[in-house]
Amino acid sequence: MYEKKAPLWYNFFRPAGDQVTEVTQLWMNTPLFEGISYSKCRELVKNMHPRQYQKNETIFTSGDIGTSVILIHHGSVDISAGDKLLAELQSGDFFGEVALIIDEPRTADAIAAEESELIFFLRSDLEEWIQRSPRDGAQFMLNLSRVLAARLRHTNILMSLQVG
Amino acid sequence: MFPKLFGHYLFKSVFMLLVFITIVTLLAYILAPLLIPIIVSFVLFAVLEPVSGSLQRHGFPRATASLSVLLLLVIVTVLAVYLLLPQLSAQLSVLKTQVPIIWQSLSDFAQKISEQISAFLGLDIDTGKILEPVITQGNVYAKKILLQASNFLFSLSFMLVLIPIFTFFLIRDYRNMRNTLLDALPNRSFELGWLIYHRVAHQLQEYIRGIMIQSLIMTLVTSSGFYIIGLQSPVLLGIIAGVLNLIPYIGPLLAMVLPVLLALGQTPLDLWLVLYAISVLLIAQLIDNAIVVPAVIAHAVNLHPVIVIIGIIIFGNLFGFIGMILAIPTLATVNIIFRGLLQGLKTQDIFASQNAGEAAQD
Repeated sequence: MYEKKAPLWYNFFRPAGDQVTEVTQLWMNTPLFEGISYSKCRELVKNMHPRQYQKNETIFTSGDIGTSVILIHHGSVDISAGDKLLAELQSGDFFGEVALIIDEPRTADAIAAEESELIFFLRSDLEEWIQRSPRDGAQFMLNLSRVLAARLRHTNILMSLQVG
Repeated sequence: MFPKLFGHYLFKSVFMLLVFITIVTLLAYILAPLLIPIIVSFVLFAVLEPVSGSLQRHGFPRATASLSVLLLLVIVTVLAVYLLLPQLSAQLSVLKTQVPIIWQSLSDFAQKISEQISAFLGLDIDTGKILEPVITQGNVYAKKILLQASNFLFSLSFMLVLIPIFTFFLIRDYRNMRNTLLDALPNRSFELGWLIYHRVAHQLQEYIRGIMIQSLIMTLVTSSGFYIIGLQSPVLLGIIAGVLNLIPYIGPLLAMVLPVLLALGQTPLDLWLVLYAISVLLIAQLIDNAIVVPAVIAHAVNLHPVIVIIGIIIFGNLFGFIGMILAIPTLATVNIIFRGLLQGLKTQDIFASQNAGEAAQD
């Protein structure tokens, strides 16, 4: 949470946080925020939750209840299923976006490959945002479904290759 | 066997729930003198937060939105104090003078019945003697309750100062406080914590909004009903019926006591008035159950009626009237937290044992 407790007057003259600008820029480069204005994204980023992870610290394992999409601000994250390494993600990559839609447990393990800062965008914040600005919310959901459809297509191709 | 039991998700869930309940109970104990204003402020916050939210949606900064809502709250409070409080006090004093008359009329009524009995059956029952201790006790209790009610009105004026202040800071700072607290959770339980919090907050907000609307409707219906049938202090009785309606199942029964006693206290005794008073409450219950509950409250809490009744009795015994009102939201909250913990920790357990199984197969 970037927006810290502040006196009443502080809200009017809040200085622009470098952190917020950096994270906003990273989100804007992802397909999730395509077609959404920088200022809207920035407002959203102010309410996101940054968390620090040590090297080799588990972010989640398959079976954990997930409620957010996670962006890597600094560091890198390994995604694996059992012993199989599925992906090595770097700063600017995001993962766990399925949890924005359904209440199902996570299906892979995520472990910090080095000391990392991750930004959590919670489903509850997304739902609130959709209520507040439905047009941007709809655009975000459209982007999210494109990302998920692309992933489904990719998996289908992989499976058909395996079967073939 | 024991280490396995401690590691079981059910044990972990119960343990975490107990820790949570202990912390909340301790906090409630420390904050006891401020508990009522804090609870009322949270209720007002649940009702007013959407107003502030919609102002923010229309481009107002958070501080301005909270200030506007506070202004609204202050205006309503001041109006309530100036219009309602003196009238309520006056009605309470009328009621106080009424108490001995009610008991007198009751004993007259009993006397009449005993005369009838002796005329018809030839039995000589001295109802005066039988009823005397009951009436004396009843008189003492009634006076005590009314004194408590006047004291409550006095402390209410003290709370009227605290509540708007608390509510304003809740509307302005609640999000920051909540985020700071939840962000303090360890990395692994961070998401589960937020999930449970959102479920609890959503259900409580729905419930509070529901019962506020329900209570208001009950107050309006019963007040107008009592006014129409010509009962004394219709507004006060209506408010009492509305507040008592916050207690499911038992509240409507309690709400009948005062109006019926007042109707009995009319001189000369008018049994029709008693019947009318009961009818007003029954009609109000009918409206409540047929229209208000399905439209406003349904699905707000998912508790079994037996649990609800037992909960109300236990909470009422421990914490009095306020406990009876708080029983349902407290039980609902505990229910959601426990289910959330169970869900979170159970799936972790299942996947962990599956992985262990796969690893063993490999």
